[in-house]
Amino acid sequence: MKALETKQLIKSFGGVHAVDHLSISVEKGTITGIIGPNGSGKSTLVNTLTGMHPIDGGEVVMNGVTLRSVNAPDMPAYGVTRTFQDVRLFEQMTVLDNVLVVLTEGNVWGALFERHTALHLKKAQEALTTVGLWEKRGALAANLSYGQRKLLEVARAVAIGAELYFFDEPFAGMFPEMIKVVVRVMEDLRTKGKTIMLIEHNMELIRKLCDRIIVMDTGELLAEGAPDSVLARRDVIEAYLGE
Amino acid sequence: MEYLINVAILACIYAVLALGLNLVVGFTGLLSVAQASFYGLGAYATAILLTRFGMNFFLALLIGVAIAAVFALLIGLVLSKFKDDYYALASLGFNVIVYTAFLNLQNITRGPLGIPGIARPTLFGFHFTGNLSFLILSLVAVAIAYLVAQFVARSSFGRALKAIREDEPALRVFGYRTLHFKLAVFVIGAALAALAGALFATYITFVDPSSFTINESIFLLAVIILGGLANLRGSILGAVSLIVLPEILRFVGFPTEVAAQMRQAIYGALLVILMLYRPQGLMGEYKL
Amino acid sequence: MSIVPQLVANSIIAGAMYTLIALGFTLTFATAKFFNLAHGAFATVGGYITYSLLVQAGLSPWIAIPVGIVAAGAVAFIVHHTVFAPLRKRHSSNMVLLVASLGAYTVLQAVIAMIWTSEFKSLPLKTAERSIEFLGGIITRTQLFALIAALLIAAALIIFLKFTRAGRAITAIGDDEEVARVVGINTNRMMALVFVIGGVVAGVSGIFTGYDTGIEPGVGMPLLLKGVIAAIIGGVGNIYGAVLGAFLLAVVENFGIWKIAAEWKDAIAFGLLILFLLFRPRGILQK
Repeated sequence: MKALETKQLIKSFGGVHAVDHLSISVEKGTITGIIGPNGSGKSTLVNTLTGMHPIDGGEVVMNGVTLRSVNAPDMPAYGVTRTFQDVRLFEQMTVLDNVLVVLTEGNVWGALFERHTALHLKKAQEALTTVGLWEKRGALAANLSYGQRKLLEVARAVAIGAELYFFDEPFAGMFPEMIKVVVRVMEDLRTKGKTIMLIEHNMELIRKLCDRIIVMDTGELLAEGAPDSVLARRDVIEAYLGE
Repeated sequence: MEYLINVAILACIYAVLALGLNLVVGFTGLLSVAQASFYGLGAYATAILLTRFGMNFFLALLIGVAIAAVFALLIGLVLSKFKDDYYALASLGFNVIVYTAFLNLQNITRGPLGIPGIARPTLFGFHFTGNLSFLILSLVAVAIAYLVAQFVARSSFGRALKAIREDEPALRVFGYRTLHFKLAVFVIGAALAALAGALFATYITFVDPSSFTINESIFLLAVIILGGLANLRGSILGAVSLIVLPEILRFVGFPTEVAAQMRQAIYGALLVILMLYRPQGLMGEYKL
Repeated sequence: MSIVPQLVANSIIAGAMYTLIALGFTLTFATAKFFNLAHGAFATVGGYITYSLLVQAGLSPWIAIPVGIVAAGAVAFIVHHTVFAPLRKRHSSNMVLLVASLGAYTVLQAVIAMIWTSEFKSLPLKTAERSIEFLGGIITRTQLFALIAALLIAAALIIFLKFTRAGRAITAIGDDEEVARVVGINTNRMMALVFVIGGVVAGVSGIFTGYDTGIEPGVGMPLLLKGVIAAIIGGVGNIYGAVLGAFLLAVVENFGIWKIAAEWKDAIAFGLLILFLLFRPRGILQK
């Protein structure tokens, strides 16, 4: 069963195709790596798929529904969640609030008359404990170390309990112990039948984690398949060396 | 004693204004320089309904709040297209437009002449003509405003507002239609401003456009930044501080007009000093 | 008897006045990248210092006017040095700078009111005002001077920015401050110069306003706001844009109040601003 498909997806900025007629499909319950040199359009692809940029052409199939436009606020309804490459936390809010805010009611009226419940707290606690940040729940996000911030990004994305996860370079700059934590989080998710798309530059982690990878270069799909075979391909290696 | 009561009433009115503005600026990060517009809408609505229709104050108050809310919805909708400093500039523009309307729609507002002879409130036969009784009414208003603001702040809605302030596009991905939240808080802020305006109108028993200029909106910014953005008790503290201050100047012997200008100089300087040295204000929760 | 020629004349004069205030604002915005809402107060300072020397000290305009202009530039320098420069050094956000500029404006307005009271003051002319025929309408001699001054100053600024070293350095800072610093431009000194120039031009604006319609302590903000509208609709951060926007705004206002009552002039101006901000935020002449 496909968790996600794109058909000739286009996203352009000022006439340049950052995502160029991209067609991919992702099986449910797998971890798919997205790799490619800098500027190949990986983050743009994820941003477009999560509704942060409008689609300029092509289609996206999410949850069996074919979409020609994707709206960010619809993401939870489609069972989608994500992290951001440049760590977009809610800086002057506590660690706990950063997670609670994605758990509580998203509708204006509902939110106005809601105080967060024990259930919300429980889910937040689970997410934060998994990444080891529960003890720091009262700290302001702005005061965390870099690695802790990346962990909070992951916890926030995971707390929601989605079906399809986009991780945008979650491991960059992390200490080994933290990397292990996040790897375990991803493997757990896969065991539970969730689908993950992972943008990453660290090839070791790619090989270790990914069932399949896709390679992007200047917005186009360069290659796809099992990590070992794709990474051995000459054109893939050249794309990276040429950057 | 009368004098102290007078100062206290003014402090209450500004506290209500500040609480409303803080929700918009401090919690949501929308730098609105338009609060005086809704203050004026509430005041004029009350003035007109009381003087021309002899309406009961409390009913006029509700209508004034409703009118301000409608305007806030429309203005907020336009403003939602802007961010940060452009938002501030556009809101300043709306303040000018509304002020100009107060000045020019002379059939309705009597323009620069203002509307005199506004009656004090009456409730079940009790007239709030004495200043002491009006002070109690004002304190009740502050309590209501504070409870409303606190209700908003402590709810999931309040948490969402802060997240909008921090990173609106990121929050949207987690399922929030942020436009609705921004509109809602702007309307709430305007409603509280209208409440303050209604009180102001019946207290002074006279309204004219000069109370609702850009300078007033800037003053309110100074109040909430001094008190501490996103801190509700800070807003009350800021309002009390900046109202009591010029009164002290008057005691020292400065004539009224100079005292008013000194107050201006002081809160202007305060804004600069706060930005330079203590953007989190007195209660120190959030930095602009 | 058509009033169109008079409307045209009025538009051109208003355009000149708006150009003067828009030029300084747009220069600082283009270089420092934030809205300095205290800019109008620099104009007010220029007007009042000139008034003070002219009326209270009885000096000749040949002294009073240059001193007023210099004073405006000096105040701009001081405000930049004490408020904006420290904030920019620590990379404060645009909102912080805007709020600080509102504070500075308020202080300046209050101090002016304390020294000179809130009454309206006019700068008196040495010889009687003369009416001049202009394109079929009537304007005053003062207004003609304002028009000439506006065009000369705009031209001077364009030449300065394009052909002098300092001017090109300033343009470079506007393009990319970090890069400008890296290539060795003394950005601190250049930024101070930008504010001085802006203040000086604002001073000219304030003085003409004083001669034309008179000044009061709060005159700076409405004047500035017109300049901001002009700068934004003409093209943010662009000298040509400031001039274009100023005249465009003047035309829309003056022909607008032909059909709508004159009291709505400000509302029309702001309506125009909001429209541009919504649909063409970079203005007409995009950089």
